[in-house]
Amino acid sequence: MADYASPDVLVSTDWVEEHIDDPDIVIVESDEDILLYEIGHIRNSVKFDWQTELQDQLIRDYVSRENFEALLSEKGISNDHAVVFYGDRSNWWACYAFWTFKVLGHEKCLIMDGGRQKWVDEGREFVKEVPQRPKTDYKVSVVDESIRAFRDDVVEHINSGRPLVDVRSPKEYSGELLHMEAYPQEGALRGGHIPGAANVPWATAANEDGTFRSADELVEIYEKGQGLSKDQDVIAYCRIGERSSHTWFVLTYLLGFENVKNYDGSWTEWGNLVRAPIEK
Amino acid sequence: MTSVEEIVREFQEADRQGMIDLLKDYSEDLPEVPERVLSLMDRDVNRVHECETPVFIWIEREDGAVTIFADVPGPYPTVRGLVSILVNAFSGLSPQEIESAPPDFISRLGLAQLLGTRRMWGISAVYSRIKSEVGKTEEVS
Repeated sequence: MADYASPDVLVSTDWVEEHIDDPDIVIVESDEDILLYEIGHIRNSVKFDWQTELQDQLIRDYVSRENFEALLSEKGISNDHAVVFYGDRSNWWACYAFWTFKVLGHEKCLIMDGGRQKWVDEGREFVKEVPQRPKTDYKVSVVDESIRAFRDDVVEHINSGRPLVDVRSPKEYSGELLHMEAYPQEGALRGGHIPGAANVPWATAANEDGTFRSADELVEIYEKGQGLSKDQDVIAYCRIGERSSHTWFVLTYLLGFENVKNYDGSWTEWGNLVRAPIEK
Repeated sequence: MTSVEEIVREFQEADRQGMIDLLKDYSEDLPEVPERVLSLMDRDVNRVHECETPVFIWIEREDGAVTIFADVPGPYPTVRGLVSILVNAFSGLSPQEIESAPPDFISRLGLAQLLGTRRMWGISAVYSRIKSEVGKTEEVS
């Protein structure tokens, strides 16, 4: 059985339990549901809110370099810390936080395979106590936008016939979901997908227990199933760039694709962009 | 039971952490749905399909007063909290009182800033569902 391309980036729940008091690591919980941390979290873990902390609150963008420095300093994370992310929904939000940390140049980022669900299923300890960590003086050394695609990159990408992966549900991909009456604000005036994009819903890469599928299975899904290869430039997108960060993680670290970008503008940008080409 | 205006006030007076704590309290206080009601609920008909999270609503009326039962799984405490606010605000009222509750109740809680608009759509759907169904419920004998 093949191994992941970068197996070191994944740690097990056992490993995390053994390292809860390790001063060189900081455990970060990043969830879709903002209350989960409050009702119980892994001891010594700190909470990040993807929406209010990792995004700029005025402009549609990620947290600025300065605010990221202030945020990490406040939470007691230093440049040398290895940050272990875990979260709900098969680590979807953990991958989102991981990707954001990578854009802002944090070096050592890890994911706890299986996320919060696995920790719950294994009956491991949750606490409500919030750790008091000494403040640090965090400095962003480099902003790495090579893993981020903007709309002009996408235009260039489709013009040169390079592959895209749309990780939304089949109904969002086909455009059908936009017509749901109850979601008038959900983002886009046009339905469909970016021309040429393959549809591989993000959760295809996760097992029932929240862990990632095996390397062999992932090769089957992305390489054999979609004809993608490691040397190709790939752009992944969804609706706002959160689900696609999970796929970005899988392609980059588990399969070893060399150049994968997450298009965080995603469908809420593309589906609203005047004259942007769309396929149904 | 807390009135709509009282709930709005407690949220408006809370700071960010205060809002999280309030939501957590509401989440923990959502009453369990009795077996009798669970057996009556239809997992399709009583589901609020606009909500990404599984939310099931059952509305009853006895002596003119409405009781709302809501089933939301534990791993979704925020949704439980939001639904619990509605259950708390409306249980015990008459259908007419619920129908005439302010349409901006949800937005006035000021939670969009905390939860993001995306998380508010689902709960608005639950609110609309309660309002539109409450007049159709029959008296329990």
